[in-house]
Amino acid sequence: MTVKAAKIMLAATLLGLIQSLSAAPADGATDWLERMSAAMNQMDYQGTFVYVQGDHVETMRVTHVSDDSGVRERLYSVSGKQREITRDSSGIRWIQGDDHSVMEDPAFGRSFFPEISIELSDTAASVYRFKMGESERIAGHNGRQVRIIPLDRFRYGYSLWLEEQSALLLKWELTDSKHKRLAKLMFTDLRLGSEVDTSELRSENSVKEYRKLESTLPSGGSLSHSNPKWQASALPAGYRLTSHRYLGTSEQEIYEHLVYSDGLAAVSVYVESTEDGSLDQSGITSKMGTTHAYSRVSNGVAITVIGDVPAVTVQTIGDAVRPIKP
Amino acid sequence: MSKETLEHLSSLMDGEINKDTGRFLIRRLGSDTEMRATWARYHVVRDCLRHQEGSVMGSQFSSRVRQAIDKVEAIETRPAFSARWLRPVAGVAIAASVALMAIVTVDPGQISVDGPAVDSLTGTQVESFVSPNSTLSPVLASQQASTAGLTNNREKMNSYLLRHYQIAGSTGGKGFVTLVPIVVTRTEVSNNEEDEQDRVGLENLNDGSNTTRR
Repeated sequence: MTVKAAKIMLAATLLGLIQSLSAAPADGATDWLERMSAAMNQMDYQGTFVYVQGDHVETMRVTHVSDDSGVRERLYSVSGKQREITRDSSGIRWIQGDDHSVMEDPAFGRSFFPEISIELSDTAASVYRFKMGESERIAGHNGRQVRIIPLDRFRYGYSLWLEEQSALLLKWELTDSKHKRLAKLMFTDLRLGSEVDTSELRSENSVKEYRKLESTLPSGGSLSHSNPKWQASALPAGYRLTSHRYLGTSEQEIYEHLVYSDGLAAVSVYVESTEDGSLDQSGITSKMGTTHAYSRVSNGVAITVIGDVPAVTVQTIGDAVRPIKP
Repeated sequence: MSKETLEHLSSLMDGEINKDTGRFLIRRLGSDTEMRATWARYHVVRDCLRHQEGSVMGSQFSSRVRQAIDKVEAIETRPAFSARWLRPVAGVAIAASVALMAIVTVDPGQISVDGPAVDSLTGTQVESFVSPNSTLSPVLASQQASTAGLTNNREKMNSYLLRHYQIAGSTGGKGFVTLVPIVVTRTEVSNNEEDEQDRVGLENLNDGSNTTRR
């Protein structure tokens, strides 16, 4: 091999190396995220954390246990009226403190809404930039920072501090695409493994006095179809349809739930026939915390888009939803 | 409708308006359908706040407004609303936001402004957001809205939210973090709360709330 050929080969190798480094998330950030995902699901943990959004500060407590009977989880507000979410293999229960009601929704089969693994999301790396940050001590644990930076305005960014040994989440910050902080969550104490008191999985107060609300959405799966009947004809970069189910008894009775994700953020699209043939309504956007919703009615069909994403994302998707022509 | 008129309507509901202006407003209510729509919507919002299900608003509400107009004195002597829930700071934008808050039961401080909400003055926005698949129509004042309808809307929207958060919780490995927003609710505006708490909650809400139309 001549010197010239060797130089060309070396240059090509270096170029390839540079390209691969620029495409891959830096410093094993996605490895940390995959470890976090497993830890958040499979580990036993219990702790108190503070959630800050705007001027509001809320102290909450979570207990998460994963054993032979599956995942059991209870998340509740420490102060004020009883407000909590409990989740287990039978479904999810939401105790709403404001009007003495409990809303329940049965569990989904994983086939409907499979977990979206970060490693499977080959698009995430194209719409986010991943960076490792500094270590920080949080709630008595050493945390390692992972930064997830959005590359456009259609998604939020995240800063996560993960426990160095287990990769469990210690601190979380949500930012917009201009790096403005929108919300923050930080544990003030955290127990792991055998230190977890499983008795906290039970509600302390009786819920007998509460009004039970069944979810108004269909729960059966027998009428599912393999292909969606509706879809978003245009999507922001990186989003793709990850799951759907269609439940409809006729052309006039439509219910379809589509889920789009970029690997980190998820957006639900509900398509339902209106009960009374409501008039067309142009889109309306609303906001709950950092979650946006967008609704419109077209030809007797109501389209509602919800996601913990910027307003422009639900609007873009909501305006693009169309029936699929047979 | 001018901001001043909205302020006067708000004051009328609060029982804080002077006699002459009150008479003028009531006469105008008899001929101004837009104003009647706003007036009706204010009642719906108040019911949302107080969760007076089925108590005030019904399918005959508009006609009852007309009947009430014939009884000016009766209206003038109606008990004052100590809850100053319709401070004219943001006009009906507040009402829109309040209805949203009541429906999704969120912390007032959690709802923030995206932009102007001028169109909400027409009374077509709040209910539309709540759930377009509902008994509510854009013509709220034309007897379509009832508190029962709003309750249905709230439950529908909550169903959407709950199901979405379940799914989102399995996305990106964030786990329980995804569920936090629906537990972070404050309850200043339940029917058993003090009026003062209503007022505080709404002021918080006004600091950052909106519903916008594209």
